[in-house]
Amino acid sequence: MDELEFRRRIYADPNSTDSDLIAAANADESKRAFWQEQKALDNKLKQTLKVEVPEDLASKLIWQQSADEFNRYKKRSRWYVALAASVAFVVGISFTILQQQSISVGDHALAHMQYADVEESHSLLPVDLNMVNAKLASFGASFNEMIDGVEVANYCHLSTIQSLHLIIDTPQGKMSVFVVPNRENMKVPSQFEDDFFHGESIKMQQANIIVVGNKNSDLSYMKEAVASRIQFSA
Amino acid sequence: MFARNKIDNTQVLSSMKAKHQRYEALVKAFHADIFRYAYWLVKDRSVAEDIVQETFLRAWRSLDALNDEKAAKGWLITILRRENARRFERKQLELVDIDDVFIHDDTQQAEGDIKERELHRLLGSLSIEYREPLILQLIFGFSGEEIANQLDLNKNTVMTRLFRARNQLKEALEKQNQHRGQANG
Repeated sequence: MDELEFRRRIYADPNSTDSDLIAAANADESKRAFWQEQKALDNKLKQTLKVEVPEDLASKLIWQQSADEFNRYKKRSRWYVALAASVAFVVGISFTILQQQSISVGDHALAHMQYADVEESHSLLPVDLNMVNAKLASFGASFNEMIDGVEVANYCHLSTIQSLHLIIDTPQGKMSVFVVPNRENMKVPSQFEDDFFHGESIKMQQANIIVVGNKNSDLSYMKEAVASRIQFSA
Repeated sequence: MFARNKIDNTQVLSSMKAKHQRYEALVKAFHADIFRYAYWLVKDRSVAEDIVQETFLRAWRSLDALNDEKAAKGWLITILRRENARRFERKQLELVDIDDVFIHDDTQQAEGDIKERELHRLLGSLSIEYREPLILQLIFGFSGEEIANQLDLNKNTVMTRLFRARNQLKEALEKQNQHRGQANG
């Protein structure tokens, strides 16, 4: 190995363990000296490269990581809160809008008919005028005379509107009378029906009277009977 | 449902904890050498510190990408070099060529004897293409091949640069000794 090649390789890596380098150094005193010199210089260079590291650097690095994590967590949770708030807002708005949609009471009255049978079966007390009037009182109404055949008088909700539901036994079968207070956005169809029942309504000043009976029954008598007996306080 | 959440939470917590431990181990093992590397790259302590902080922050954020602990050193160096390049893009207009205005006071605080201070200055005055392979070799003990991989150069180029770096240092030192000899004599 010539001198130049040897020097090149030692300069490139003084800590080389290549066997041909070692052999060349063993064979030549001056090469050995050159290598030693380079190793010594390298050690000095290493010393020089070891500049002082800021004392608190490690703690700073760990601290900034926690701070970063915290900030990102905060940002993330802010994002969640914003999302939750938006959802709550939308839900709130939708409910309000849904509530304001007009309510067709006829369908609800028909739905109530489906379980009117169940309802009457567990009413134990006989229904008298006082009881009916006590319930009508919350609508500011009363009957001046009892209607014959009232079996059940109960509050019920047609959609969201509290109403009074009377179940009356008539020669034409069971009929239901609903007393429904007026609401702004309420639609009361004057006539409605499904496969089993049909109903008619009378609009009065403070409430609607809805009479529902079996498909082929004549409701006019009952409408007349209720309308003539009901009175509204001023 | 609550029980499952609880388990998930403890799992998340323990994996978070493991990640923290991993990060702290990384900081402890490498912050000193990474700082020195940064210092010799930019030759300014406070800039070096900034870069190191930025480097470890990025390392933390993508710690999951580090699969092989043995690769950690090279991975950090890669992040640091990228950070440094980014700094140059950002501050290109503000920078003066550091080589022209070297000799900082803060670089000299630790160096007692003249010889080491000179060596420090000489190392700093090597151009970056010679200096960087040399510091990778001396600080991290990288082989020629590893340096070539890290700097994306071919191995022969790296060996040549290492040779030239030492050669230049040697010549500069000899020149100084001559000067000193002349001054003394």
